[in-house]
Amino acid sequence: MTEFNLIQIAIAILFLPLVGFAFVLFLGKKIKSAYLVEVGILILTFLLTAVLLFNKLYWFADKNIVSEFSWISYKNIAVFGNISIDLGFLLDNLSVIMIFTVALISMLVHIFSIAYMAGDKLYNRYFAYLGLFTFSMSGIVLTHNILMMYVFWELVGISSYLLIGFWYEKKSAPDAGKKAFLVNRIGDIGMFSGIMMLFNTYHTFTFEKIFAQMASGTLPFNSEFWLTVTGLLLFCGAIGKSAQFPLHVWLPDAMEGPTPVSALIHAATMVAAGVFLVCRIFPMLTGDALFIIAVIGALSALIPATIALTQNDIKKVLAYSTVSQLGYMVMALGVGAYKFAFFHLITHAFFKACLFLGSGSVIHAMHHEQDITKMGGLKKKLPLTYATFLIASLALSGIPLTSGFLSKDGILQGTFAFGSLTGYWLFPAVGFVVAMLTAFYMFRLIILTFHGEPKNKEKYDHAHESPFVMAMPLVVLSALSIFIWYTPNPINADAGLFLGKWIKTPSLSVPQNARYSFMKTDLVPEGKAENNRDISNEVKKEGTAEGKEVIYSEAYTEAMHHAHYPAMFLSLFVALTGIVFAFVFYYWKKISADKLARDIKPFYKLSFNKWYFDEIYNATFVTFTMLSSRVLAWFDNTIVDGIVNGAATVTRMISFFTGRFDNIVVDGLVNLMAYLSGFIGLVLRRFQTGRVQTYIVLVVFSLVIILYLFKTF
Amino acid sequence: MNINYLLNSLYLIKPEIAISATLVLLVLMDLIMGSNKKLLPYIAIAGLIAASYFSVEQFGMSSLAFVSKANKGMIVTDPFGAFFKGIVVFASFFVIYFSIKSDEIKASFERHGEYYTLIFGMILGMFFMISASDLILIYLSLELVSLSSYVLAGFTKTSQRNSEASLKYVIYGGVSSGIMLFGISILYGITGSTNLYEINSLIQTSSIPNLTFILSGILIFVGIGYKISAVPFHFWTPDVYEGAPITITAFLSVASKAAGFALLIRFIKITFIKSVDSAGYWQLVDIIDWKTFFIFLSIITMTLGNFAALWQDNMKRMLAYSSIAHAGYLLLGMAVLSNQGMIAIIIYFMVYAFMNLGAFFVVMLIANKIGTEDIDDYKGLGYSQPFLGVCLGIFLVSLTGLPPTAGFIGKLYIFIALVDAKMITLAVIALLNSVVSLYYYIRVLRNLFLTRPENGTFEFKVSFSNGLVLVLLAAPVIIFGLYFTPLINIAKSSIQILGF
Repeated sequence: MTEFNLIQIAIAILFLPLVGFAFVLFLGKKIKSAYLVEVGILILTFLLTAVLLFNKLYWFADKNIVSEFSWISYKNIAVFGNISIDLGFLLDNLSVIMIFTVALISMLVHIFSIAYMAGDKLYNRYFAYLGLFTFSMSGIVLTHNILMMYVFWELVGISSYLLIGFWYEKKSAPDAGKKAFLVNRIGDIGMFSGIMMLFNTYHTFTFEKIFAQMASGTLPFNSEFWLTVTGLLLFCGAIGKSAQFPLHVWLPDAMEGPTPVSALIHAATMVAAGVFLVCRIFPMLTGDALFIIAVIGALSALIPATIALTQNDIKKVLAYSTVSQLGYMVMALGVGAYKFAFFHLITHAFFKACLFLGSGSVIHAMHHEQDITKMGGLKKKLPLTYATFLIASLALSGIPLTSGFLSKDGILQGTFAFGSLTGYWLFPAVGFVVAMLTAFYMFRLIILTFHGEPKNKEKYDHAHESPFVMAMPLVVLSALSIFIWYTPNPINADAGLFLGKWIKTPSLSVPQNARYSFMKTDLVPEGKAENNRDISNEVKKEGTAEGKEVIYSEAYTEAMHHAHYPAMFLSLFVALTGIVFAFVFYYWKKISADKLARDIKPFYKLSFNKWYFDEIYNATFVTFTMLSSRVLAWFDNTIVDGIVNGAATVTRMISFFTGRFDNIVVDGLVNLMAYLSGFIGLVLRRFQTGRVQTYIVLVVFSLVIILYLFKTF
Repeated sequence: MNINYLLNSLYLIKPEIAISATLVLLVLMDLIMGSNKKLLPYIAIAGLIAASYFSVEQFGMSSLAFVSKANKGMIVTDPFGAFFKGIVVFASFFVIYFSIKSDEIKASFERHGEYYTLIFGMILGMFFMISASDLILIYLSLELVSLSSYVLAGFTKTSQRNSEASLKYVIYGGVSSGIMLFGISILYGITGSTNLYEINSLIQTSSIPNLTFILSGILIFVGIGYKISAVPFHFWTPDVYEGAPITITAFLSVASKAAGFALLIRFIKITFIKSVDSAGYWQLVDIIDWKTFFIFLSIITMTLGNFAALWQDNMKRMLAYSSIAHAGYLLLGMAVLSNQGMIAIIIYFMVYAFMNLGAFFVVMLIANKIGTEDIDDYKGLGYSQPFLGVCLGIFLVSLTGLPPTAGFIGKLYIFIALVDAKMITLAVIALLNSVVSLYYYIRVLRNLFLTRPENGTFEFKVSFSNGLVLVLLAAPVIIFGLYFTPLINIAKSSIQILGF
């Protein structure tokens, strides 16, 4: 396997789904089983990504494979300067792991959809759209320049739009599609401006070349401030696509799409593209930019988590949870815990896809009932779905032996270290609160859905376990939520190859004085680096040995090390607390319910202090969280949506006036020009008499004129 | 005459020999085969394959043929010539395929021998036009092309339109070549040589009477200007394009124009050049102000072509005016007088060959089936014939020069050359012209897709082979519009003209 072979495989991975898309779209009407081609292509694509992943990580783990060709090359042009654009692939560990994840989940969702979407009248077109999405997403992951990334970025936007509004006959679906598309647009404008800033400064779109020039001191407008601005503008794209505060409003609505689509696009892959973008541009983010990113991430983690507590729609709970987890990743990037952010991106993709497909299985079994207050007791009817759902929920809650525990613990450890180094203890605080809330709402969901008595007897009786094609993806995804794939040591992620060898924090290109203090270069003496216990791997060994740049300072390494165990135990503690609360409120409420409390109120007060617990919690915590989540929901619906709507109104008014101007003045001018052109044409046509004598006379005549003119020149 | 004089040069003119041999073979086969003429086009294609092989071979060459003590060489073989021969051969392939499929040509079945022989006569003439470096050969090759095309323009004989076009063409062509011959004789009178290289060295060293020199230069240009249909020497174009069989129109609009431009560039560059500076700009002998001449000519050529095209109802006539306008754009590349401009012209020709042949092919297919070339009869055609409609749409959008088609790239490079030479005003005029051209191209599209047919739908099928050829023409227009680095690489390696 040479590097060239890998590039060929990558090309095949990128274009196979496009072939599937074209085939199913154009022949879907004629051939009933065209969708099988698309599913087959996805299975093939997945196998290719597996080959790619294995070979890249086994043979070329430390090497970035780049293959590019020159798309446009004008070299130097008088007015515009150097314009040359290269297109190409970048295969580094980040992209091959990501492409593997995308292809795997996409394949599983294809298979799942065979049964889930059965009987839909646009069955084939659904698969065509999935193919288009897989193609676009692969493009984002594999490209080596930000221009192509932007093109594919918009393409995933389109396929997301098409799939959200797939059931276009109910009104809410196309509306949700439009909302998603428009809200994303706001972020993309920022991203586009950022790309233009980069191109204006560096005359290239290729990441590596940009970073190389930046490291040698070229900055936008020669100032670190503008570098921060550029980084934040690019981050705007991530805010939109990854549904970060304040643009997160579209994601819950996007649940109008078919559930497998929610699993693939709106949980595992597309929404993670924003995080992936931040990972890609990480080397050019200044300390200020990172701090703002961390704040946005923290807000996005906290607000949706509190909202998720009160939702009754099974998919809405998962949607808010997705936003919250994405906020986690963004916050992790913001505090500099690059590796753990990407790690969480991967682990989250698997268990969240599993949860969504599991909810799809529940919805399928309950005949499109999505309200959890009408479910209950499904454990007996859907044992396999329950088991997989439970494993994935444990992972999401961060319980040991799951992948989620490792990645979430890493993020908390990162925020903890950040807090101890900079004094911003609010970030770890938010992290732990969100961890608790997450565990709580997930188990609330499980208890209401799978435990207790069935609330809707009729639907319950008709419920049935899903067929094999739906169960298989669940099993695969829940298996991937176990720690063993990532590290042999269930409490230390760094022990595994994933974080220990494959994923490394890229070296920064930002000027020293614009970084976080703990990311500044301090040269570690050679001997000390050897003695230094290799706990967190953040120190690039080879860099240290040569006396070159290290990414994090010694202090950070120390802080990470010290943070490991406190963060781990604390996160475990908050997760368990959340779960216990969920049980207290929703599972054991029969023995301790408020009804009982009302009946025997004095007894209740006197007998056991534990009862006070419930009261106090109900009065303070629950009410407060309920209230705050309502407030935040209100804030969401009124303020955030209001701003969006207000902007729309203003735009409409302006467009009305410009439209008028256009109609009268501009169109008038255009019509005048058109009339004039026509007139000139008519005059010129007169010369073409059709008589050859005239022609010859005209030739001789014009010849004389030319000669006369030339004499005077 | 020394026999080595011929033998040493023969290997340099292999493409011309291949074409001549095929021409002779066609005449013989026509006589031998009698009534069975189906084989002739395939012999022609075989001959073209040989010629294209030898033309490609010339990409690596750089030498003069027929050198003697008295003459510095009659024929040049260089990458520049090889490229234009490639364009001519490329167009010939398609035109011969069109001829097999054309109903017009099929109707005069018994004279197919003449038809292909005359086409090969034209090709031979064009090859010599492209590589000639001597005024005598230039004139002879030009006449060879003209005489063959006079007959071909009136080939079908059945329609009056045909014969009229042919006769106009003869008279007009005769006058033009007469004027050119006059110019050549004056030049010979001043310099005492017919070889371009010798004339160049002469005018650089000795003093030349200015007025007569200008006169001769412009008179010679008349002959070339008529071949490339530059205004005001274009008058034959609309009438002949409309009257001639459509295959011949397509051939004239691509191959003949390419050969004419090759001749023009070679004539100007070899005869008048002093030096080429490091940025690729040509310093010409300052007796004739060719720059102003070309600027003036290109402006009126594209403006007249575009404005006159606005009112045309006949598709072929509209395309005739459009080809005049395109000659104007190409002259812009000439006006820059730099290597950058040359690259732009070469890129434009690569693109132009695809889109113009494609447009004529669609017009021919439609004319075969519904028997009309009137734009108003195209109403609603896009619905009943979506494939033809979309292909024609691609070609017309590309002719307009809109992205993402290759036509955009062709225009873009011409504009870049202009901007690079700081001729911004000219670039703006060209841009405005493109806007005007949008009107008449889009008008066809509007008829195709936005209006309903007036009398019934068009019930016919495009055969597989025709569809394949259409895709072969249309797909590159899109592909080169998106990925055009290969075009630029070819162009950069094709600008090398022997001697400079």
